[in-house]
Amino acid sequence: MQVQELVGIVPWTFVAQICNLFIQMYLIKRFLFKPVNAMLEKRKALADAQIREAEEAKKEAAAIKSEYEQNMQEAREKAGEIMTNAQKTAALQSEEMLREASAQAAAIKAKAEKDIAQEKRKAVNEVKNEIGGIAVEIAGKVIEREVKEEDHTKLIDDFIANVGEAS
Amino acid sequence: MDISITGGRIFYTLPIDFPILGKFQITETLVVSWIVMLLITGLCIWLTHDLKVEKISKRQAVAEMLVETANNFVIGNMTEKFRRLIPFVAALFATSVVSNLISLTGLRSPTADLSTEAAWAVVVFIMITAEKIKAGGLGGYLKGFTTPIFVMTPFNVLSELATPISMACRHFGNILSGVVINALIYAALAVASSALLGLIPGAVGDLLSQIPILDVGIPAVLSVYFDWFSGCMQAFIFCMLTTMYIANAAEV
Repeated sequence: MQVQELVGIVPWTFVAQICNLFIQMYLIKRFLFKPVNAMLEKRKALADAQIREAEEAKKEAAAIKSEYEQNMQEAREKAGEIMTNAQKTAALQSEEMLREASAQAAAIKAKAEKDIAQEKRKAVNEVKNEIGGIAVEIAGKVIEREVKEEDHTKLIDDFIANVGEAS
Repeated sequence: MDISITGGRIFYTLPIDFPILGKFQITETLVVSWIVMLLITGLCIWLTHDLKVEKISKRQAVAEMLVETANNFVIGNMTEKFRRLIPFVAALFATSVVSNLISLTGLRSPTADLSTEAAWAVVVFIMITAEKIKAGGLGGYLKGFTTPIFVMTPFNVLSELATPISMACRHFGNILSGVVINALIYAALAVASSALLGLIPGAVGDLLSQIPILDVGIPAVLSVYFDWFSGCMQAFIFCMLTTMYIANAAEV
């Protein structure tokens, strides 16, 4: 079998090797770089999409949070309002109750005083009558004769009135 | 014992004589080149079938790593604007490495033929020149030869031509040296084993001395340097120079 020179350039081999190099370049591009780059591109797109999604979710969460905070603020304000109202009402009620109580107490006191005055008058009258009786009796005994009670009533009354004034 | 170290075998010669190019010959270089191309393409197809976006297989990780490495190499040595050259440099490196390492299987490396490296170097040289003309215009390119003074023109032309020649010869020389030294070592070890086993007396010694037993294993040690190291290194250097020269040419 023929052999070629150890060191030398064979024109046809030279041309063929140039063609081979470019064919190889195309094959590598077609079968290695194209699919891998396409896949990398897809992965990048996926990662980008995920990041975008995460950002959106974060934005949404922030919106929900601010809404919640606003609601809380409103609720707190409302609670404060309710508390103030309740305090006001309670103060009013207690004042009224106190007023009522004092009025009642005053009424009771007035009634009691009236009763006492009446009792006193009654007692005075009774005492007056009794003393009148006793005085008549004593006078009768003193003058040894019946003193007509009716005749001396005026006299007795005067006396008692004097006693009452003196006492 | 006679040993002869020759070029690749010629399997078939087309009987038509073309002008300049001569007769088309199907040489060992070409056949092994095609095997190399088939290997690389097959590997690419195997690596990239069934690619997934997530939960990738080891195979896909290797494919991605290769692509990333090629991207980083080209963009690191050149710039982002030479992105289109990534497949070219990758093809150059892959072909070179696989061609160099295929000698491990007993086939003759296509890179042990100067035609191969010359072809690559000429392609790279055309690219360098094209970049130079693109960067400075044809006038600027031609004017570049007369710097710093007009007298330097022949030397500048020589140094320009030296680029592809040195690239081709560097790669070829390294691979050829491996081929030559391997051939010498095989022959020497065959002689040594024949002499060693010939010491055994009688017919047994005669029979055993025919078997070059020392050729088993020992050359593999040398192959670590001449095939593995030199093969990978030369492919790397060739691609490194390619990227450097083209990037430099664009800067002028």
